[in-house]
Amino acid sequence: DRENTIYITLISPGSGDRQNNGSSAVTSRSINIRVNLNFLLCVSNCEYMNMFKNQIHTVMSAFPPVVEAGTPVHGNDEVERHLVLVEKVAYSKGLPPEAISVMLEFAMSLRMGTVLCARVLRCLIPATVVPQEAVVRAVVWLGVGKIPMSTQVLFIKWVLTMFDMIDGKDQLRAIYGFIFSFVTEENLCPFICHLLYLLTRKESGKSFSHLRYGPFIQRFPQFYSYSLFLVFSSLLQALLTGRQPFLMHLLSLYKVLCPELVTLSIPSRMRWVRNHNSTWKSTLIGVQKRNGSQAASSIGLAFTIKDKASSRKRKHTHLQLPALSSVVNKQPQSEPSSSRKLVPLVQLHSFAQLLENMHHIELPAQMGSLLGSSLALQYLDFVQDESALLRLNFWLGYALYEEFLFCGDGGGFQNSDEALQFLNKLLSTENFLQGGFTSSEAFLYKFLTVWDGSLLRPQILALLSNIPVVPSSQIGRLLFEPLMQLFFTSSVFFKCGLVECLNSMLLKWLTWHSVYALEDDLDISLKSYTSINMTLSGFKDSVMDLVHFVGQLASVGLQLEGCHSLLLSFTLDFYETVCDMFLKYGLPLVVMPPPGVFYPTLFATDPISVDRLAYIMYRYKVNLASAKSQEKLTEAFHISSQTFHEFNHYVVVMVNSLWNSRMFKPDMDLKLSEELLLKSSVPQHWTSFDLIHHPAFMSYAIDFHQKVTFLHQKSYDADILTSIKLTPQSGPKERFGDVTTFPSFFRLATCLLQKHP
Amino acid sequence: MALLKPFSKLPCLNTANILLVESEEQFQQSLADTLVEETAFTVNVRLAKSLPLPMENEESRPRIDLVVFIINLTSELSFQSAEVSLKNLDPGYFLGKVCFMVTNARNASVPTERLDAVRKLAASLHCPMLFAEDQTPDGVTNATERLLTILKVAAGFVPMATALYLSNLTRRTAPPDIEQPSFD
Repeated sequence: DRENTIYITLISPGSGDRQNNGSSAVTSRSINIRVNLNFLLCVSNCEYMNMFKNQIHTVMSAFPPVVEAGTPVHGNDEVERHLVLVEKVAYSKGLPPEAISVMLEFAMSLRMGTVLCARVLRCLIPATVVPQEAVVRAVVWLGVGKIPMSTQVLFIKWVLTMFDMIDGKDQLRAIYGFIFSFVTEENLCPFICHLLYLLTRKESGKSFSHLRYGPFIQRFPQFYSYSLFLVFSSLLQALLTGRQPFLMHLLSLYKVLCPELVTLSIPSRMRWVRNHNSTWKSTLIGVQKRNGSQAASSIGLAFTIKDKASSRKRKHTHLQLPALSSVVNKQPQSEPSSSRKLVPLVQLHSFAQLLENMHHIELPAQMGSLLGSSLALQYLDFVQDESALLRLNFWLGYALYEEFLFCGDGGGFQNSDEALQFLNKLLSTENFLQGGFTSSEAFLYKFLTVWDGSLLRPQILALLSNIPVVPSSQIGRLLFEPLMQLFFTSSVFFKCGLVECLNSMLLKWLTWHSVYALEDDLDISLKSYTSINMTLSGFKDSVMDLVHFVGQLASVGLQLEGCHSLLLSFTLDFYETVCDMFLKYGLPLVVMPPPGVFYPTLFATDPISVDRLAYIMYRYKVNLASAKSQEKLTEAFHISSQTFHEFNHYVVVMVNSLWNSRMFKPDMDLKLSEELLLKSSVPQHWTSFDLIHHPAFMSYAIDFHQKVTFLHQKSYDADILTSIKLTPQSGPKERFGDVTTFPSFFRLATCLLQKHP
Repeated sequence: MALLKPFSKLPCLNTANILLVESEEQFQQSLADTLVEETAFTVNVRLAKSLPLPMENEESRPRIDLVVFIINLTSELSFQSAEVSLKNLDPGYFLGKVCFMVTNARNASVPTERLDAVRKLAASLHCPMLFAEDQTPDGVTNATERLLTILKVAAGFVPMATALYLSNLTRRTAPPDIEQPSFD
């Protein structure tokens, strides 16, 4: 706070009231902010204001007003008739750019009072583009202060909704400070913040550099843009009373641009606010649909990386990736002091060009367009430009929220495959960058709580598997609770899909770990696209939580679905990842499967499951043995003796039932009373789960027996099965002849013959 | 005041009975049409606008295994009607034989307070809350599948599982505050 005070004092105009102004800036914030801000605006915008006032006059004379100021509204049939006509055209075809200019001017100047202003704003649907000059002029009218607050909000909402269609942003950026001044209006603030977010760029300060400097700035001309940021960010921080998401978003962008200026800690995940007006959007969509490809191509303009894509019909303003356009890269009207020449990304067509211009690339205003261009992604991946990622995240979060969580009536997009294409594009981007975006992660947490489990299932599950490691304290609330409810109320196919998704999530977490663990010993920090720093123990906790969670899902799921073999197979996939965590990924953690997974697999009726269980147990054994030997050497980690105990117990059970024919003996987990076993009148019940009589292997045994009897020219004798004796000493070869004809047997047998720790 | 009781009648062989309660009677019908297509066992679907059920069919009405309250989030009335109807159920139903099916949750015109209110209601009654996309055929099929999954358990077709057991796994503990997960 003290720092803020000093900053604000510095820019106060008079030396006499500086002390007062500065010290009270913190106590009675808004008044003083107003005072300082007004000064700031005088400095930065007086020239622009004059310029635009002149422009307004010229424009007014060029388009003579249709009506005189003060013409009565009520009972004026002529105006009514004209307006109805305009509305009709607007809602059916959209208005051409010139008409937008005239109507906006008409509305914002309040030439016919405030009632018509709102009505005109509602029907301002552009057919192609919105001229930038018109918006700038309207913003200037906003400063006059006669327009009622609700209409001001309506206007800013209109700008936000139409932002993609404004044909240039440089002049809007030039009056950045002017727009910023509205931040102090309580009602306008959320919308202004959003607009500022869209306008803020790394180069934001530059366009001011040709202005005449104020007294302070004259002394430090080289810090002009810096000082602007200083003022903006300290004002924002002063305004921040709670944790208003709109202010936080803007501040987070400032923090990336000038980290030393924003002293607040900004949470990495923030709430999204709804600023768009859905009625405009749906009308806009309708108009664009009717106008077809023509509108799209005129927005996309000449330079598009994807040739075909630009002619696609624009049905959803947010779902469609904006084409990389050159509109926004028009040089600002006058920028003499820009010494460094920036190359717009659209003008690069090959990787070689990208390499050449790596250090002076200008990113497009529409960050969403990066998703569609592989060159842009390569740039993003290599440069790790945090502000670009932040802006991309912002755009993405907005698009996802608007299209999937706050839909218009009937969801809108469901019957189109635009949503599908959009998510696929997002997925391929995430795969390319090898990490998820924080905004898509935050979106998923929200979406999971209202998901029906089938809508866009493959895409949602794939996105889910990309999320970065979730801290153990949050994982239950954010992920497990919604997933558990979906899992137990959905079909077996959903269950399989979810287990597969969690498996690939675990794989990605482990891969990240193994990459970062190499870099700085055991203390890892997972940077990728999140700013979470995580210690090794924190990471281990999260992984353990995930493994236990899947264990729980699988045991109960298998029970409810009657040990469905498909679900069992996906579960075993998961445990094939888990059992190798130490050797393959260097994570000193071994988690055994729960009994609810182990026993259904051991007594499964298909040989493949039993075989895979044997493989998993074998890998556990190798991992545990190597962990034990390393533990003795380094003592850097410790595997609990409980884990060894569980493993040994499982192996004993497996060997006893499959090999030693000691089923239902007292030391086994399965306890059945002697009377009950006698009652069942199964002869030699203790052999019923050995390698020959196990339901999974019975068919192999019979097959083998038939082959033997055929070779020996004997008649088929079922009793020979029982006469084959199993002894722990004899190897598989003696018992089954040429075991290579039974590959699953062979691997299982060799696994079991390995000594366990 | 006739309370609907879960165990007052004997079950029929291979038959499960489900009661769909929806004040607006929009989604009910399409859901019922797909529910009866189940072939593994007989599904009887009973439709109601609200509870209590009228007395006249009392005798012929089979034992109801699962009561589903369909709530359209875009209408306040739908939620209020379900809230009132809940009072006409025997407490025994809340041991896993009631669930909520919510439609239009992703609609922009739904106030978040209403969604939270439904969540709180479901959490306080220990009932699962399913979301459904009632506009698309795929959404209806999926909603049907999920209801059948619960119905099978509630009607006792799944060995080793009871309705109470399942509801312990699927109920919400508390309405989550997903809005602002802060990790810092």
